[in-house]
Amino acid sequence: MSLAPRPADVSRVRNVLRVFRVSAIVTGVFLLLLCAMMVLRYGFLVDIELNGPYGFLALTPRSRITGIDLSTAILIVHGWLYVVYLGCDFLLWRFVRFSFGRFLFFALGGIVPFLSFYFEFRIPAYVTARLAQAEVTPPVGVAA
Amino acid sequence: MNESSGPGFWAVARRPRWIGALLLALAIAAGFSALGQWQLARSVASAPVARADTETPIALTSLAEPGKTVTDTQLGRMVTVTGTLVDGDFVVLSNRLNAGATGFWLVGHVVTDGGAELAVALGWAPTRAQAAAAEGSATIASPLIGRYLPSEAPDQPDVDKGVQSAASVPAFINQWAHFGGSVYTGYLVAATPATGLEAIDSPAPSQEVSLNWLNVFYAAEWAIFAGFAIYLWYRLVKDVVEKEGEPVERRMEA
Repeated sequence: MSLAPRPADVSRVRNVLRVFRVSAIVTGVFLLLLCAMMVLRYGFLVDIELNGPYGFLALTPRSRITGIDLSTAILIVHGWLYVVYLGCDFLLWRFVRFSFGRFLFFALGGIVPFLSFYFEFRIPAYVTARLAQAEVTPPVGVAA
Repeated sequence: MNESSGPGFWAVARRPRWIGALLLALAIAAGFSALGQWQLARSVASAPVARADTETPIALTSLAEPGKTVTDTQLGRMVTVTGTLVDGDFVVLSNRLNAGATGFWLVGHVVTDGGAELAVALGWAPTRAQAAAAEGSATIASPLIGRYLPSEAPDQPDVDKGVQSAASVPAFINQWAHFGGSVYTGYLVAATPATGLEAIDSPAPSQEVSLNWLNVFYAAEWAIFAGFAIYLWYRLVKDVVEKEGEPVERRMEA
């Protein structure tokens, strides 16, 4: 059992969903880049170097990088994109009032590769269905 | 309609289940705080340590011992050393940058008067041929003055495809024809180049203590996460209070 969404929050949900869809795709892409970068860094002991002495894009051992270290850049950018993704997840949880376990499950989208591409369409569908369900059972004693 | 029909916030918070949840939230917050502390420590530790004079040469024997790892205080120090250059024990390194130009280093093998071995980068040349040609006439001053630097990580055969570009003391030992067994783990960049070579650009180590801002930001993030763990506990308790306070008709399946 959990509570139905508040009517006042329903319009906000639509805006959050818009941001969420973009965030799910961008975070998902950076998560794949992150996986590639981790394999290169810890499997092959090289980082992706941008504009260094070995060419525009080169695989260079970390200690010898003089250009821009794209691997570390991917790491940082993914971290902040995930913060945005989690922010959307949190707002949906508050507005739509689904369970805490579901909030944690949706949070996995930024950690499990490819999962966010599924969530990108699955979560808006779930949220829309839930809002529709809430309208079918209108709140008692609360002005809509 | 009747929002206050259910239990109050503290009545719910005092239930064993929510006291347990609070302890969990506090444990998580403590863990996050510890991670933040670690990041703060790193933000200072990874900044260069302020040191006194590194530019007045001192005897290498008074600074470092053979076989011992190069420490922070030894790194980048100008030193003097007396010894002899071993004939024929030269290595040419590729891909060495000097004032923006890629070229080659000629690295010699010095046996100090104390009997220890030391790798010395004698100079830079724009072509491999020029670097190799300097071997024949290479001599070292007595005393030799140069900057003492830690050995670089060795080349990786699969990455570098046989090109040797790292000033790696372990790699040099394998290439030297004569090796006595007692070696300095750092190498020297000669202040004055051998005949036919250019001086290697080797600036003094930075003296400024600067914070590593990336680590500072990570520390701030962990602090926010720690606060958020407590907030989540509050929010979950509040949800229960609201749920039990609202009419049954407002409830729905999760």
